[in-house]
Amino acid sequence: MSNDEVGTSVALSETEADERLLDRLAGFSAEQTGLAVAGFAGFLAVWYVAALFQPTYLLPSPVEVLAAFVVELTAPASLSIPFTGAELPATRLLVKLIQSLYHYVPGLLIGTSLGVFAGVAMGWNTRVDSVFTPVTRLLRPIPPLAWIGFAVIWLGVNHQGATFIVAIGSFWINFYSAYGGVEGVSEDLKEVAATLGVDDDWTMIRKVVIPAASPSIMTGIRTSIGQCWMIVVAAELIVGVGVGYEILNTAQNLAMDVSVAYMLVISIVFLVSDGLFRRVERRVLEWRA
Amino acid sequence: MSDDANADTGAAANTAATATSPDDTAKVSVDSLGKTYASDRRTVEALSDVEFAVEDGEFVCIVGPSGCGKTTLFRIIAGLEDATSGAVTLDGSPVTGPGTDRGMVFQEYGLFPWRTVAENVAFGLEEQGVEEPARSERVTEMLELVGLDGFADAYPKELSGGMKQRVGIARALAVDPELLLMDEPFGAVDAQTRDMLHGELLDIWTETDKTVLFVTHDVEEAVTLADRVVVMAANPGRVREIVSVDIDRPRERTESEFAAYVERIRGLIGE
Repeated sequence: MSNDEVGTSVALSETEADERLLDRLAGFSAEQTGLAVAGFAGFLAVWYVAALFQPTYLLPSPVEVLAAFVVELTAPASLSIPFTGAELPATRLLVKLIQSLYHYVPGLLIGTSLGVFAGVAMGWNTRVDSVFTPVTRLLRPIPPLAWIGFAVIWLGVNHQGATFIVAIGSFWINFYSAYGGVEGVSEDLKEVAATLGVDDDWTMIRKVVIPAASPSIMTGIRTSIGQCWMIVVAAELIVGVGVGYEILNTAQNLAMDVSVAYMLVISIVFLVSDGLFRRVERRVLEWRA
Repeated sequence: MSDDANADTGAAANTAATATSPDDTAKVSVDSLGKTYASDRRTVEALSDVEFAVEDGEFVCIVGPSGCGKTTLFRIIAGLEDATSGAVTLDGSPVTGPGTDRGMVFQEYGLFPWRTVAENVAFGLEEQGVEEPARSERVTEMLELVGLDGFADAYPKELSGGMKQRVGIARALAVDPELLLMDEPFGAVDAQTRDMLHGELLDIWTETDKTVLFVTHDVEEAVTLADRVVVMAANPGRVREIVSVDIDRPRERTESEFAAYVERIRGLIGE
């Protein structure tokens, strides 16, 4: 028996992976990190200098933005908990951020679940596909924000309205990634499963189709996690609460430093949520070559 | 190709099959099997009146040139495709779809990349409702059989081609099929590994007493492994001759007897 062949192959792949990681980290720390720091410092410098010659209401300087950020982050405010009437002490920035999360999290969860469900159903069953393809083609090009009128008259100028818009946005992203992923599942794997005793659709979907399509589904979820922060800001401009509204509201009062501080909040939460999901993705798709 | 004439032959073969009863003693019996692919403009006869039987515990190889329909034949026996005429019976009952009585090993391994080696081997057992700890015990037993104990938790991406195919064999055997069906299983591994896998497969065959039906285009591989070789011809795919290989195992390719068989089969194929 060929344990030599076996042993070397695995040992090699492990060392290779380690070396590649080390190379990357080393390369990163040496040149790339330097360039990245230089690029960012350059950006701040240009911004700073440009802001010297402008009043704050035209272009706030990075220092003013940072100061505004700290003020918003620390200024006390009370957070009302929906459906309970309770009030919790918090800060202005936290209140706005949590309001946005009320739109973002449920919208993302609803849109993602429905999108993945619809994508898998249509990708799996050609008859379902034929029935719904014309409708999806018709509805797909409509930007989520175009539904804002319906969101307002159906659900009101409130959290549910913004949630609805976010859900539509994440629905389409996840629908197409799941659909494509399921369509791309190899016939071979389905045949292997059939010869190993899988004889109903549900087992095939659960044990073969969804795992095989999971890289594509995960990409869809990650894309929508990012895109939905863009959508939530836009939706909040209309429904009048949250970080998105604060960006507009402060700008309308010419408090541009505060407005940019809230833009910064969006960047930070995007980077954090994307980073966290990447870690989840790496763990879930550990098996991938 | 004259389509009308072929269609007539197919119909005649069909009648013949119903008239003569299939070989009841055989493990696998392929009776007057025909397969015609019809499109709007033309029909192609992939298999015509294919007939042979495989005895219990026998190792049979199917060889033939490309286009002789051996993969079609494999897929019909596996239940992945329907025959146009004739029938395949396993232990006397007709094959109507895929099932765990036939363990399949594919050229491209067909491993589930998201499952570890052990989880791949366990797949069919899960479907059969085998509970723990019996399932894990069976998996361990199978991995020992193919020499992959110690790799239970590896993912397929970490394995070489030869190791992947060992997992494929272990997975197919785990559900204890009546027949092991292999479609060019070693076609994608290098020659050295292939030789090694031949030895291992024969060991496994001896140890498990399985009936093996092995499709290949490699005549030397067929002579190395088989009790009998079903030699096929193309256009339409049909059985040219069935050759019994009467050489003691292990067989050496350098022996003159071995070379004589290879030459004879190559002659039949027309290589």
